[in-house]
Order: sequence, then C-alpha cells, then structure tokens
Amino acid sequence: MNGWILTATVALGAGVGATVWGVATGPLRRRVVAQNMSSAVACPGLLLLSQGFGRPAYLDLALLLALLGPAGTLVFARLLSDDLAADPPHARGVTLAVAGYGAVVVLVLCAVTGPGRTMAKLLLIGALLIGGNLVASRALSGGFAASRRG
Amino acid sequence: MDEPLIVVVLLLVAVSATAAVAVRDPVHQALVLAVLGVALALLFTVLQAPDVGLSQLAVGSVLTPLLLMLSVHRVRRREKGRKGKAR
Repeated sequence: MNGWILTATVALGAGVGATVWGVATGPLRRRVVAQNMSSAVACPGLLLLSQGFGRPAYLDLALLLALLGPAGTLVFARLLSDDLAADPPHARGVTLAVAGYGAVVVLVLCAVTGPGRTMAKLLLIGALLIGGNLVASRALSGGFAASRRG
Repeated sequence: MDEPLIVVVLLLVAVSATAAVAVRDPVHQALVLAVLGVALALLFTVLQAPDVGLSQLAVGSVLTPLLLMLSVHRVRRREKGRKGKAR
C-alpha cells in the first residue's frame, strides 16, 4: 500500500460515496448532476490506481471512462430535457471543483511520469475528462432546451 | 496488501446496489444504475481485472441506462398519445 493507493482510497471513498448519496436522494436535478460527477470523480481515481499499481495499461480504463461518462450523461440530458427544462440544475461550483481536482491529478501524474507516451496519454485523458464534463454539465442545465427553442 | 481499498470499493458497490433496489421511479433507477456501473468497474480494477472492468464500463455506465431511458421515453409517449385520443 503506497501513497498513490492511499490517496485513491480516500478520494474514491469520499467522492464516489458522495455521488452515490446524491444520486439516491433528492430531486431529479440533483440526481443527474450526481450521475455526471460520478464519472468525473472516478476517472482521476483510476489514474491514481494505475500509478499506484505501477501498471500504465490501466490508463485505458480511465480513457474509456473519460469518453463514455459524458456520453452517458448526454443520454440523460437528451431524454430528460422536458423534465429538466422545468427545473434546471445549477451546479457550476461542483462542476468546476471536480474539474479542478481532475486537472490537479493529471498534472501531478504528468510531473511524476515525465515526458513520453504515457504523459501524452495522460494529457489526452485530462482534456477529454474536463472538456466532456463541462459539455455534459452545460447540456444538463438547459443546452438541449435552448437549442430546440432557437 | 490493499485491503482498505478493496473494502471501500466493495462498500460503494453494496450501497449503490441497495440504492438501485430501494429507489422506485424507473428514471431515478436508471441514474443509480449508471453510478453502480462505474462502482463495479472500479471494483474489477481494484481486484486486478481491468479487462472485465472495461466491458463493465461500456455496458454499465452507458448501455443499460440508455436502454432503460429509451423504454421509459417510449412508454411515456404512448401514454401521452392515448390521453390525447381520449380527449
């Protein structure tokens, strides 16, 4: 058990635990935001686990999650757009905080691995994670309804 | 050697799976199932089975919620159409 795995344990326990709590209770707008946050919190956790286990191949999981997580949220945003238009979620603070956490994890891991293929992959995962998260968050808070209006 | 990590992720899976059963509304259930898919993928990774985790991510976090939401969407539209005809 090294520092990376300890950090991943704490981050996953607190972060994913909070999203499970958020998705299981409360109004619909809170649940969709929590679902969006679950992938954004789990992806940096997978990066930390990959570093902790010393297996760069585990980065593929984080890459897939960074790609598919926002896609899953977009499915909800599209199919629930009528419900969400009446009661749109506003979660700018949480979204930015989680995006900042992802950026910090990616930058720290880049500094540790040094230049090379792994670092390029890490930067790609970070860009996909933060970009996808911001797009999905915007779609949840009324992107689809706004595009339908005009 | 990584027992605390395994215990934490197992707890996450147990709590989210219980929530998926306890939540009654299908839309809310689809949201909980998406989070459960991510938690299960984390569990498989922690247990050193990343290939299983990869397929679990694809199926659990996108495909299952998509299928559920599409069927909910279709049922709702059909109900709306029936109400419109009755009027």
